[in-house]
Amino acid sequence: MSKLIGEPIKVHQDRDAMVTAFIWRKRLYRVLEVIDWWREPSEWWEGKAVRLFFRVNARNSSSGIYELYRLGEEWFLSRVLD
Amino acid sequence: MSCIHLHVHSPYSFLDGASTLDRLLEKAQALDMPALALTDHNRLTGAIRFYDKARKLGIKPIIGAEVTLEGGYHLTLLCKDLNGYSNLCRLLTGAHMSNRGGEPQIAGGMLQRYCGGLIALSGCSRGEIPALVRKGDVGPARKAAQFYKEVFGDDFFIELIHYPSRKGIPDTHRLAGFAKEEHLPVVATNNVHYAEMEEYTIKELLNAIDRNISVYRLENYRTVEQYLKSQDEMASLFADCPEAVEMTEEIAARCNLELELGKPRFPRFDIPGGETDYSYLSKIAFAGASDKYGHLTPEITGRLERELDTIRTLGFCSYFLVVWDIVRWARERGIACLARGSAVDSLVVYTLDISNVDPIEYDLLFERFMHPLRYEPPDIDLDIDRRRRDEVRDYIYGKYGTSNVSCVATINTYMARGAIRDVGKALQLPHEIIEEACRGIHYLSASKLLEHADSLPELKQSQIYRQPELAKFFNLCAAIDGFPRHLSVHLGGLLIGDGELSDSVPLEWSSGGDIISQYDKDDIERLGIVKMDLLALPTLTVIEDTLASVKEGWGIDIDLNSIPRDDTKAFAMLREGKSIGTFQLESPAQREMAGRLLPNRFEDIIVSISLVRPGPLKSNMDKVYLPRRHGTEPVTYLHPGLENALSETLGVILYQEQVLKVAHDLAGMSYAEADGFRRAMTHDRTEEEMEKMRDSFISSCARNGVSGEIAEKVFEQLAAFAAYGFCKAHAAAYAILAYQTLWLKCHYPAEFFAALLSNQPMGYYPSRVLVAEAQRAGVKILPLDINRSRDRFTVEGGAIRVSLSQLKGMSGEAVESILSGRKPGEFTSLRDFVLRTGVSQPIVESLVRVGAFDSLGTREGLLRQVPELMTLRHRVLKGISPLFDDVRPDHEPFGQAARIDRKARMSVERELLSLSLSAHPLDFLRLGNEFTRMKDLPSIATGRTVRIIGSVVRYQTPPTRNGNRVVYVIMEDGTGIADVTVFGDVQEKCGQVLFRAGWLVVRGKIQRRGAKGVSIIAEDLSPLSPDNYAVSTSGISPTF
Repeated sequence: MSKLIGEPIKVHQDRDAMVTAFIWRKRLYRVLEVIDWWREPSEWWEGKAVRLFFRVNARNSSSGIYELYRLGEEWFLSRVLD
Repeated sequence: MSCIHLHVHSPYSFLDGASTLDRLLEKAQALDMPALALTDHNRLTGAIRFYDKARKLGIKPIIGAEVTLEGGYHLTLLCKDLNGYSNLCRLLTGAHMSNRGGEPQIAGGMLQRYCGGLIALSGCSRGEIPALVRKGDVGPARKAAQFYKEVFGDDFFIELIHYPSRKGIPDTHRLAGFAKEEHLPVVATNNVHYAEMEEYTIKELLNAIDRNISVYRLENYRTVEQYLKSQDEMASLFADCPEAVEMTEEIAARCNLELELGKPRFPRFDIPGGETDYSYLSKIAFAGASDKYGHLTPEITGRLERELDTIRTLGFCSYFLVVWDIVRWARERGIACLARGSAVDSLVVYTLDISNVDPIEYDLLFERFMHPLRYEPPDIDLDIDRRRRDEVRDYIYGKYGTSNVSCVATINTYMARGAIRDVGKALQLPHEIIEEACRGIHYLSASKLLEHADSLPELKQSQIYRQPELAKFFNLCAAIDGFPRHLSVHLGGLLIGDGELSDSVPLEWSSGGDIISQYDKDDIERLGIVKMDLLALPTLTVIEDTLASVKEGWGIDIDLNSIPRDDTKAFAMLREGKSIGTFQLESPAQREMAGRLLPNRFEDIIVSISLVRPGPLKSNMDKVYLPRRHGTEPVTYLHPGLENALSETLGVILYQEQVLKVAHDLAGMSYAEADGFRRAMTHDRTEEEMEKMRDSFISSCARNGVSGEIAEKVFEQLAAFAAYGFCKAHAAAYAILAYQTLWLKCHYPAEFFAALLSNQPMGYYPSRVLVAEAQRAGVKILPLDINRSRDRFTVEGGAIRVSLSQLKGMSGEAVESILSGRKPGEFTSLRDFVLRTGVSQPIVESLVRVGAFDSLGTREGLLRQVPELMTLRHRVLKGISPLFDDVRPDHEPFGQAARIDRKARMSVERELLSLSLSAHPLDFLRLGNEFTRMKDLPSIATGRTVRIIGSVVRYQTPPTRNGNRVVYVIMEDGTGIADVTVFGDVQEKCGQVLFRAGWLVVRGKIQRRGAKGVSIIAEDLSPLSPDNYAVSTSGISPTF
């Protein structure tokens, strides 16, 4: 089961551009593991860039699986997986 | 360890590859890839150029294709060697030949037969095994694997493609697992469709165009991963299966195709027993020489022997015999067929009767055509009577076998217009935007469109190219500029193989039903396969038709080879600029040159054809030559040693052959070396190469006692000339045809114009201009008549009768029906016509409206009867109504109905015949005195300002010396033709009118160049509007 979110988030990356943490709804989530990544095409005819997705195991009060994506310079939380 | 991409698509996958070969290879080089494969869909169209380009960059080219099998499955095939290449050609040919009009598919049996020398990869997700494994059909997958294993043995591999995605790569894992279970080797590929990831947008755009859908509907096919990934990226993707990456190197090592490029391969020609190609060719050439010259002088014999020896040395004897045989066959059947181009330089070509130009009489040099230092396939292009060209083609198919002959392909590529239309459609832009963006665009590259929109006056004033919301659209158009769109048939090229063509060239159907090569003419030349250019020349058809008409009308058999070459009347006509309709001499530039050159001998026509070309005019050759020709300036030579080469053109270099002579006479080069020198100077060369050539030329001249200063000047002249010079042999061949048409127009104008009008479209001017020219020559034009008109324009008592075929919408079947219906006797009424022919109602109505039945009734009355008569015909055909059942009189007595007025007649003629017979639209305008009619232009003083009004015949933008664009507009007003020159400042001012308006009002100054040529230098252009004229005589604003 997963829950679609689609909200903007702030992401912290290390020097190798790996996602280390993100802030969603004013709460910090520390990334424990990047499980997977992939890219998806976008509506380029509307000027949108390729979406870069990360599936991460992150922890706030408890740990969970989250899908984040970058669209241009902005980051979004795509969905939360149970 | 290297990772080599073995599955790569280029734009030659036709709307499925988004990066040019150059971009793919440059990226491969940047990524240090030692080899790269090209595997376009079901075609090898890009293979030869890829092979050449890759080698130049030090990358090993691997040639292959992603083929489609029966059932629509894909399979990636790579050539290990020449046998594999031949087999791939055979497979692709078979796939296309057996699926005309549909997707090419290879049958399993064919794969078994032609598998030698090929490596097979199981293909992309549309491969048979990947598809079956994905569906979980392990049994059938196993069976398929067994089949491929049996066919390709150790050269069959399971192709693994890893595209990271939300759902991971379960399909790839399943496929890898299947390969392991079946003990099949695996190989990593990326099914590359573009060099960089960002170019996925172009690939998607092309896919949308290909599927004729909008980009918004592409959901099922989308990925960004098909780019040329680095070795590190591939290694990382296949970290859990490194052997798949290692295998790419192993497979690349197995692929060692060495194509034999540049080596001519000729068809075999059957010769009589006891003869060799050479002995037979010599025999025919000498027999032809005896026929033509009677007595063979040592000059003739020596030259023939020298040429034949060169032809033998180069191994081209059979090629000459093939061409000789084709021309002989055509001539025996009365089909006009002649050589053009540099082949005419050859005495052997002349004695074989392939050309009618005597190279000795015209002092032509064989070495311009062929010599031992130039090892390229010879090229004898043949011009053939357009109407009968296919008969000659069919003869070649019959003689050499359909499997040994094919047409050559032309690769149609995107330019601005096509790109705007296709991209606009894929993006679902409104039709009006697409049309506006296309308006005013003529042969512009899509990548330079926005640049041109800022500089070309006719585009500058359109805001569409500057709309920010359309910027992305125009960028996309630019991105596909030059991309192949489809293959079509090259106009004249025919391939003749030295065996089965499909052993070395993949073949397919053209949309018109011809079999074509997948390679274009350049790649065919690289492969060394003989290409015959059989060019349909309508001028030859016109000449044949004119001669037949003269024979029919006058009972005279004209032998054009015997007409005097100095006909005073014909040359006078040429000097007066009355050459519209003639071959090569009718353009405004040629008519103007005639007024300056004042030709009075045949050689002047050769000069004129050579002079009126962008290069010589840009270099002001005309300004040097013409005063010498008229004796107003002395003929001088930089060095006495140049006189032999240049005396025929009064010291000016006009012909390519003269470059050879100058290099020979002054620098002591052999003619063969001199041709090499000429060719080197015509190609792009570096400053350094040029300096080397200069030094070599000057030092060679010095050995012949020519000073460095003179040699330097001569070199400069040769260098300037070499880039644009014209081949005298070609000019002479065309001058003969030009003169023949001029002579026929002069002495048999009705027959000539009838033939010309029957063979439209051809030449420079539309039919309405030719009709006006015929009328000015005193030839009356008779209207369409249902009992007189034939399928072609015909001559009736010195006048020309309009043909049935001229009617808009008239079909060949309808013409045939009318002519056969008329055989028993003339049509006596419209009813009689309808019942004796099968012509459709719209055509009958058009015939009535245009006046074809005027001798049988009034147009209004007859038009009213048409529906009833069509019903009657239907009933008669069904056997419902007896023929004489209806007794209704089918025409009104003359005079009872209103007679149609002149203006209405003209309108209907323009609408249905595209001609103005009864009147000209300008006849109905009351033009003020400020307007000059075009017939009066020659009598107006130079420099005087005139205003003219007329319809645009044609716009022209020839290259100019300084690179600034000049637009030439040819106009007509029913009384004559006007040539209008529009320079940059007026283009700027009147950009909105240029290339758009069909009718123009021009204000400008009369200009004269030479004694006769008159043109107008435009100062202002405006579209025709009610402001330009007073009142129409009928009181109605004219609509043209």
